[in-house]
Amino acid sequence: MLDALAATQAVRSGAASAVEITEAALAHIRARNPALNAFTEVTTARALAEARTIDRRRAQGETLGPLAGAPFAVKNLYDIEGLVTLAGSKIDAERPPAATDAFILRKLSAAGAILLGALNMDEYAYGFTTENTHYGAVHNPHDPAHVAGGSSGGSGAAVAGGLVPIALASDTNGSIRVPSSFCGTFGLKPTYGRLSRSGTRPFVASLDHLGPLTRTVGDLAASYDAMQGADPRDPACAGRPIEPASPILEHGASGLRIAVAGGYFAGSGIAAEAVATVAKALGATRVVDIPEAARARAAAFVISASEGADLHLADLKTRARDFDPMTRDRFLAGALVPAGWVLRAQRFRRWYREQVLALFRDVDILLAPATPGPAPRIGQETIEIDGVAVPMRPFIGVYTQPLSFIGLPIVAAPLRKPGELPIGVQIIAAPWREADALRVARALERDGVTNAEPTLG
Amino acid sequence: MPDPTDIEAYVDATAQLIGLPLDPAHRPGVVLNLGRIAQMAALVMEFPLPEETEPAPVYEP
Repeated sequence: MLDALAATQAVRSGAASAVEITEAALAHIRARNPALNAFTEVTTARALAEARTIDRRRAQGETLGPLAGAPFAVKNLYDIEGLVTLAGSKIDAERPPAATDAFILRKLSAAGAILLGALNMDEYAYGFTTENTHYGAVHNPHDPAHVAGGSSGGSGAAVAGGLVPIALASDTNGSIRVPSSFCGTFGLKPTYGRLSRSGTRPFVASLDHLGPLTRTVGDLAASYDAMQGADPRDPACAGRPIEPASPILEHGASGLRIAVAGGYFAGSGIAAEAVATVAKALGATRVVDIPEAARARAAAFVISASEGADLHLADLKTRARDFDPMTRDRFLAGALVPAGWVLRAQRFRRWYREQVLALFRDVDILLAPATPGPAPRIGQETIEIDGVAVPMRPFIGVYTQPLSFIGLPIVAAPLRKPGELPIGVQIIAAPWREADALRVARALERDGVTNAEPTLG
Repeated sequence: MPDPTDIEAYVDATAQLIGLPLDPAHRPGVVLNLGRIAQMAALVMEFPLPEETEPAPVYEP
């Protein structure tokens, strides 16, 4: 499976047609998806129609978009015209089909990318493991006994399994960065408000972000660039001018002040080793403490529970049995959260934002683990932390939650030792400085520090 | 750490107040999860914030 930019190059040069690339990708999905359970719908007819359009436009000498002929797929909380947007739920399967594509999906289509289908996820994005009871667990392409992460587990498995070079996802508390870490892909969670969320099923409006997962930093930047743009239909979309990262991707990390996040983010085991490896490669020796990160995670936890439950309150009242048992009791509990806790958490967010922005006055990039360890096994309930067994699933987000809480742009970069499961490192930049994080990720990729090779199968 | 009995009483009373019927089979899980949220909230609530720290809403009239 070609990377997205390589596929586009092949189409432009005539080395392959868009139809040939699409048919190869569809064949690979048919062969490999049954073992991974990444796709919930494969849009074969649409994909071939889009590919034929690209080939016809090339034959007519028209200008092709920056991702012409590159296959992609989207988490099934993105609206796809003519399909029902499941958001991982059984309840939403009763909804009418979507009338139009989600905003950023349209942007990728306009860039010439070919939509191949919809991807599995945790119900309503409330999870870190994609052990979906309705649609089945997603299996990690590196070891099918392990989870792919969540809530965008189908996105992680589709990219790591070589089924598509680009998968769109969402990240409220870590749902792009966790599957990137567990599956060994690159992932970008842009600044809160950078990409429009219109046409996607919300989870927590205060914290929801959208972004891509890919196997190369070039594809990450190209897809991110193509999806930027103002959209009044998402009130949180900041409507900033388009700031393309691709043209400066090769500038490398020089000139950027890079520090390691200490204290709360120190991590242990292979998570700490991965950060140390990246820091060494970048020559970063400084350690900076992000103050009150544990409280930031707690505040994100409280806001997520409450806002998430509010969205689904009518269904929780009338048909709680139809929720996935993996999310149901958390949604029900969230409906009961006292208002004072949520308001204080929102006020804390403002305070914490000021503290972290102050850190960025003399640092450009912070490094932190993406997950406490590699992918746990499917069905695993606990994880041992300093000799104490704690519930595994909520703990997965310990390093991602305090950062998305204030909307910082972050690239998850994958490391992998031979014979081991992958693990990700978060490359964290100041608000609206996605390009800084992408430049660092590209430098690591170029120097062979990262490893996002797809698994064979 | 809130008293588990308090959590149970709160769950029953608040569910009734907001009109959320709780299946007896779901109740233990709801109590467990509200207890987890309460532990998280305690971390936030014990932290003193300056009065002038307002939330950062996106709302624009």
